[in-house]
Amino acid sequence: MQVKLVITTIAFMLTMIVFGYAALREPARMELFEGAYESRQVEFGASIYYSNCATCHGQEGKAELCYDAEGEQIGCAGRSLHNAELLCGEPSPRLVAMGWENGTKAGFINATVNAGRAQNGMPLWGADYGGPLEDYEVENVTNFVLNWETVELCSEPTAPAPVWPDDVADLPSGDAANGEQLYQVTYGCAACHGQIDQEGTNAVGPWAGAFKNRADAQPGYTAAEYLYESILLPSAYISPECPTGPCAGPPSAMPNNFPLRMTIQEMSDMMAYLLETSEFESNGNAIVYP
Amino acid sequence: MATFFDEVKEMGVKQATIAKVDDVVERVTAGMNINDVRAMLRGDEPRRPNPRLRPHADSFWLHIRPSFYHTEVTHIYPTFRLGWLSTFMFVWETITGIFLMVFYTPSPEVAYQDMWNIMSGVPLGQLMRDMHRIGAEVMVLVVALHMLRTFVTGSYKKPRQFTWFTGMILLVLTLVLSFSGYLLPWDQLAYWAVTVAVSAAESQPGPEFLGRNINLLLRGAPVIGAGGLLRFYLLHVLLLPLLAGIFIFVHYYKVVIHGHSLPPGREAIGEDTAKRVPKAERVYFLPDIMTSEVMWTALTTLGLIGGSAFFFDAVIESHADPLITPLHVVAPWYLSWSQGWLKWIFPNPFTGGEFDSKVVVAFGIIPILALAFTIMPYVEVGRSRRYADRRVGLSVGMFFIAFMLVSNWMGSPEYKVQSSAEQEVAQHILPQEGHSILLEVPYEELAAGTYLPNQVLPGREHLTHALAEFEVALREYSCTNEGDDRFEPCQPYQSDQGTRFSNSAHTEVLPDPYAALVITQVQHNVYELELVFKTDDPENPVDFHFTKYRHEDAAYEVY
Repeated sequence: MQVKLVITTIAFMLTMIVFGYAALREPARMELFEGAYESRQVEFGASIYYSNCATCHGQEGKAELCYDAEGEQIGCAGRSLHNAELLCGEPSPRLVAMGWENGTKAGFINATVNAGRAQNGMPLWGADYGGPLEDYEVENVTNFVLNWETVELCSEPTAPAPVWPDDVADLPSGDAANGEQLYQVTYGCAACHGQIDQEGTNAVGPWAGAFKNRADAQPGYTAAEYLYESILLPSAYISPECPTGPCAGPPSAMPNNFPLRMTIQEMSDMMAYLLETSEFESNGNAIVYP
Repeated sequence: MATFFDEVKEMGVKQATIAKVDDVVERVTAGMNINDVRAMLRGDEPRRPNPRLRPHADSFWLHIRPSFYHTEVTHIYPTFRLGWLSTFMFVWETITGIFLMVFYTPSPEVAYQDMWNIMSGVPLGQLMRDMHRIGAEVMVLVVALHMLRTFVTGSYKKPRQFTWFTGMILLVLTLVLSFSGYLLPWDQLAYWAVTVAVSAAESQPGPEFLGRNINLLLRGAPVIGAGGLLRFYLLHVLLLPLLAGIFIFVHYYKVVIHGHSLPPGREAIGEDTAKRVPKAERVYFLPDIMTSEVMWTALTTLGLIGGSAFFFDAVIESHADPLITPLHVVAPWYLSWSQGWLKWIFPNPFTGGEFDSKVVVAFGIIPILALAFTIMPYVEVGRSRRYADRRVGLSVGMFFIAFMLVSNWMGSPEYKVQSSAEQEVAQHILPQEGHSILLEVPYEELAAGTYLPNQVLPGREHLTHALAEFEVALREYSCTNEGDDRFEPCQPYQSDQGTRFSNSAHTEVLPDPYAALVITQVQHNVYELELVFKTDDPENPVDFHFTKYRHEDAAYEVY
């Protein structure tokens, strides 16, 4: 019996030592796990992003490199997410612009992913809203987007959004060859508006080949003024000439974020390609982009 | 009655205090004063009348324990302490379980996050979780061994048939307790193991509404969700422990009533002398059995805590996803045999077709086996407990154990489960769930680029090791038509889908594959790990990509 009591005492002491060792190690161990859950959320968010979101928002989230299911490069229909406007500052400029200045970035992105933004073509994703992603998945993809925020990103000077001239006559002269590249690939306009030399190739919106003859669409507008307004403010005038009859809207099905993504020179190049002229005729109508 | 102050006046402070402490000890031990306790721990002979018997009469905790045991049953053989150990594990699981309950909410919204919080935000949380998990597995093992021991020593025979019967109930409760805890972390492992098990209920051969309703009762909805999780949680923390507690007491009461059966060779055939213990062969509970139990408690606690702290980590997989079934879902090891049986084919002699193996296993084999075990002591009534007289019974028992072990192996993916070769290779280094050689490569060793199997990267030993394992798996699942000396020659054969290739290990392998690991940086602290497989086989071209992401702080190295 004495032996048993000695063994008991030794075992008890060893247990306390193991327990004490584990307790001493705890702060370091817990620190290792500290970011693990959020990190795995980001990883899981990455797989959701690349299988669902990258088609419109691009490989790096900059709405620059978008590919369809066959791996062909297409225009990016979505906004850039990987930028200082959305991610930098509390609240970030984008939050202020959207009237979300009292909320958080995570809340804003979460809400946008959940409910979508129908007028811009962003589908809704949250299961509670009828979409395919469960709450935790929306949270994961939100964390993935927020993970683009870095010190470098936020210390770069932000390029100011272009101030769009009110008169097309004030646009610089355009380069049709670059405009074709922008139309076909960079902004993917051809996916909806078709090829300018083949009538009927437009899948969704009005045929692009008709734009140069559209001087009469809005009373007193030149073709250039009409096209310029349509890109800046897609809902200002809804064309009656979509492939299946009058186009839907307002609001228009066309993304309204091109004024944020394009430069003024790109606008001129694109218009030069579509109107087949490098200088733009003006009737003096003021087209005011807010 | 004299108060303490009166006694102080009478005897002085010192004597009065000693008398008071002595009194308290006697009350707490229900009959033993300080001197009795000290004498007991010194190993002295008890005074007369023996005060060490009084706690068995008067105290709550000891009234169910026998006051003495036969010396023959106090050694390691024949009990191996397995019954005691089962009870210990039950208490152990209760204590660690209550700790975990504090930090757990049974809701799909937060359960998974709670698991991570237990590991990152709760001091000793991971240790508690590991202790609870290792305890559950040890408890299943101990209970099964306890049953085996009872069978081998013939202790289920008359008059202990009913004890065996309650033991069978406890075995089932232990298995269900362990399995019901499986769902609670709400990860992929939990979700799919339970989904598979519960779906067996749906296959019942009776009318359709019966299966549907059993399923609804268990899952709380057509698929396991918030309702199902809550049900499994309540089963796990309330109903099953309560039932187990009740049956443990019934079981133990029967053990005490009939006494521990002696080793089979120690008594005449057909006799049961467990309750007639000659004075010379008595070992008293106080102090010998008690100190022995305290010692085993200390040793088992040490083993379990040491094991959890240094050798065992309870797994956690990704968040439960009803839409994605991970490759190679397996039952826990203690139920793997049933998964093995599900892979069998049961021919139907009447129609020439085959029976649904789910029905045969869940509503045929398992209930029949359970019934056979339960009624065994009432049917197998041979009088002798001696090994030499029970050659047939013991042989059947040993054969059954071998059969269960083989069935358990059949439950593993190694038996009759193979997905496409490229998936098996990917699974080897970058599985969908669980430990991954590739994900555990330290983040610092990763860099964007394309890496080939077997590539050696100086200074990046973990990545080199992972690429070496990549090559090992690739060789196992590949063959060559072009004389590549890395691979075995292809053995072509015709199948429904045209010409296929096999090698000596597998029937479907990749002919002359190109395989690579492509690492791309997608965010400043996130890499994409993509496994690429391509073959030029004109009839069955493979172009397979499998992708996972690796965040700098995801802590795969430690977990």
